[in-house]
Amino acid sequence: MSVAANRRRVDPDPAFARAFEEAASRLPGARFPELATARERAIARFVELGIPTQRDEAWKFTPVARLVNRPHAVRPPSEPPLERVLPHLLGGPKARRLVFVNGVLQPQWSHVGGLPERASIESLARVLETRPTAVLEELAEPDQGRSFTALNAALTDCGAWIELSPGTELADPVQLLFLTVAGASAPMSHPRIVLRLGAGARLALIESHVGLEPGPALTNLVFGARLQEGATLAHDRLLFQAAEAAFVGRAEVHLGGASRYEQTTLALGGALLRSESEVSIEGGEVECRLCGLAVPREGEHVDTFVRVHHRAPASHSDQLFKSVVEERGHHAFAGKIFVHPGAQRTNAYQKNENLLLAEDGEVDVKPELEIYADDVKCSHGATCSELDPSALFYLRARGLDAATARGLLTWAFAAELLGRLADPSARAAARRALAARLPAGAPADEEAAA
Amino acid sequence: MLEIQDLHVAVDGRPILKGLSLRVRPGEVHAVMGPNGSGKSTLAFVLAGREGYEVTAGSARFGDEDLLALEPEERARAGLFLAMQYPVEIPGVANMYFLRQSLNAVRKSRGLDEIPAAEFMRKVREQARLLGIGEELLKRDLNAGFSGGEKKRNEILQMAILEPRLAILDETDSGLDIDALKTVADGVNRLRAPDRAFLVITHYQRLLDYIVPDVVHVLADGRIQRTGGPELARELEERGYEAVLGGRLAA
Repeated sequence: MSVAANRRRVDPDPAFARAFEEAASRLPGARFPELATARERAIARFVELGIPTQRDEAWKFTPVARLVNRPHAVRPPSEPPLERVLPHLLGGPKARRLVFVNGVLQPQWSHVGGLPERASIESLARVLETRPTAVLEELAEPDQGRSFTALNAALTDCGAWIELSPGTELADPVQLLFLTVAGASAPMSHPRIVLRLGAGARLALIESHVGLEPGPALTNLVFGARLQEGATLAHDRLLFQAAEAAFVGRAEVHLGGASRYEQTTLALGGALLRSESEVSIEGGEVECRLCGLAVPREGEHVDTFVRVHHRAPASHSDQLFKSVVEERGHHAFAGKIFVHPGAQRTNAYQKNENLLLAEDGEVDVKPELEIYADDVKCSHGATCSELDPSALFYLRARGLDAATARGLLTWAFAAELLGRLADPSARAAARRALAARLPAGAPADEEAAA
Repeated sequence: MLEIQDLHVAVDGRPILKGLSLRVRPGEVHAVMGPNGSGKSTLAFVLAGREGYEVTAGSARFGDEDLLALEPEERARAGLFLAMQYPVEIPGVANMYFLRQSLNAVRKSRGLDEIPAAEFMRKVREQARLLGIGEELLKRDLNAGFSGGEKKRNEILQMAILEPRLAILDETDSGLDIDALKTVADGVNRLRAPDRAFLVITHYQRLLDYIVPDVVHVLADGRIQRTGGPELARELEERGYEAVLGGRLAA
C-alpha cells in the first residue's frame, strides 16, 4: 500500500479492532443493522488509514502514534465519588448538564429538564437508540482521510445532540463533562457532539474533559456545529486531562451569516492534547474568535491545529493562541487562514505568542495565510521568547524578589486567556488549574488589591 | 549616604564610566548633567543593579552596605529608588496590585507588617491627587497604554509611596510638557527631607529650575568633569557643554 510505503501512517495496534469486536454488540444502537454496518465500515476504514506519523503534514510536530497506538478498553465501569466530581460541575446552579465517566452517561449528575419547547438536549446514546438515521447521516460525512474521525464513527457511544430552533435562547449554560478515570483499565471514549443552532438562537456551551486518575487513556472527540443566520455560540473548552492520558479532538464549525462564534480552549494537563478546529465562514458579517492557552510541562505535548476558511465576503475572524512552556513541555501551533475566492472585505487575524520558560521546552509554530481575494485585511504574527528582562528588572527594582517577579509576569501573560472564557465558573475553575500549574501560582491576594 | 569611588563600568566590553566619584549626603539634592552618551543612564542603571553593566573597578557604598554586591530588589528594600527614563509597560499586572506588593516587600524587609488595604488606598489616592493622576489610571495595568507624561507621574507616585532614602531620577523631565514638569517637580520637592537624598540625572537645566539642587556635577566621557552649585547648571544652559568643558569633552 502506497500510504504505508512512505510511512505517513502506521498500522493501528490490533487491540483497536479487537476492542471494536468485543464492544460492537453492546454499543448504543447496536440493534439497528444499518448502524452496525456503518460502524463495521468505519473500523475497517480506520485500520486501512492507520495512525498518522510525523510525515503527515497535519501531524508534523506530534508523535501521536507513540502516545495513542496501544490497547485501550471500551467503557470500563468506574464510579468516582461525588466530591471528586463536584469541582468540575460548572455553569451555575441552573446549568443543564450531561456527565459521562469513561464514556458512560451518569444520570445521577445529569439533568437537561425544563427546556423551552424549541430546544432539545439529548445524550448521543439516546439518539443512537431513538433516531439512528440522524446519527447515520453524521457518520456518513466523509472523513477526508482522518483516522481518528473514522475511529470515532466506529466506536462513538457518548456525547450530545443539541438543537435550538430559530430564535431560541438558553439563559443558562449547558455543560458537557467528560470524566476519565484511568486507573489500570486504560479506557478510551469517543464522544461526538452535534450542535445545531437555528437563526438567531443563542447558547453558552462549556465542554470539559477532565481526568480524575493518572494512567493511559484516550478521549477521541468529534464536535460538529452549525450556526444559522445570526446565531451565537460561546464555546468554553477545558482540557484538564490527567498524566499519561491523551486527548484527540476535532471541532468542525459552520457559520452562517451574521453568526457569532467564540471558542476558548484551556489546555492544562495531559500527555497529549491535540485540539483541531476547522471553521467555515459561510456568510457575511460573521464574528469568529478562537483563543487558546496551553501550559505543557514534564513531557506533556499540546498540539493546536487551526483552520479558518473565509468563504463569504465581509466577515471577521480573530485568533489568539498562547503557550507557557515549562520544563520538557512541548507546544505545537499550526494555524492557517484561507480566504477563498470572492471573500472580499475579509478581516482575518492570527496571533500566536509563546513564552518559553525552560531550555528543554520546545515550541513549534507554523502560521500560514492563503488568500485568493484582493480586498482583504489579514495578518498573522508568531513570537517565542523568554520573560522580558527589562520588565523583570522593573519589578525587582521596586523590591519584588526575582521568583515573585517571574511568577507575576508569567501569570500576567497567561491570565489574559482566562478573561476570554465566557462563563464565570469556567473562568474560576481554569484559574485554579492554571495557578496549580504555574511555578509561582496565582499572585497573592490579587483580588483584594484589584 | 551614597559614596561612589573611582567607578569603572563597561557595557558589552566597552568602557562607559571611567573613574566616576561622587558623594551624596542625607538631605542633599545632587544633579548630574551631561551630554548624550556621557554615561548618565549607565550610572543610574548600575546603581539600581540592572544586568549587563559590568563593574570593572571602583566601589559604591550605600549607607553601611556595599551597594554593588546587592541584588536589585535588595537595593530597593534598602531604600534606593530609580525613577526610570522609560518605565516598562506590563499588561496583565494591575497598577495598584503591583504597587501594594512592592510596598509590602519593602516594609517586610524593614520589619513592618503589611499595610492594611484601606490605609494603602488612602495613601495612594492622596498622592495620586497631588500628582494629577486620575482614578482611571490607578485601575489600569502597570503603565499599559500610559502616555509618556502619565508614566513619569506614575514613577513619582511609586516613589512617594515607597518613601526611599535615596531617589535617582533618570531624565524624568524628558517628554514632559511644562505643566507636567511642574507637577512632577512639585512631587519631588514634597519628598525632600533631611534624611532623604536625590540624584537628579538630566540633560537640560530646565528641571533644575523647579528642583533646585545643592550640588551640580557635569558628567562627560565617563567621569565627573566639574562640580559646582546651581549656577553651574545655568552656565551650561547658556554656553553649552562644549564651551563649559573646553578640551575635556571627548569628540
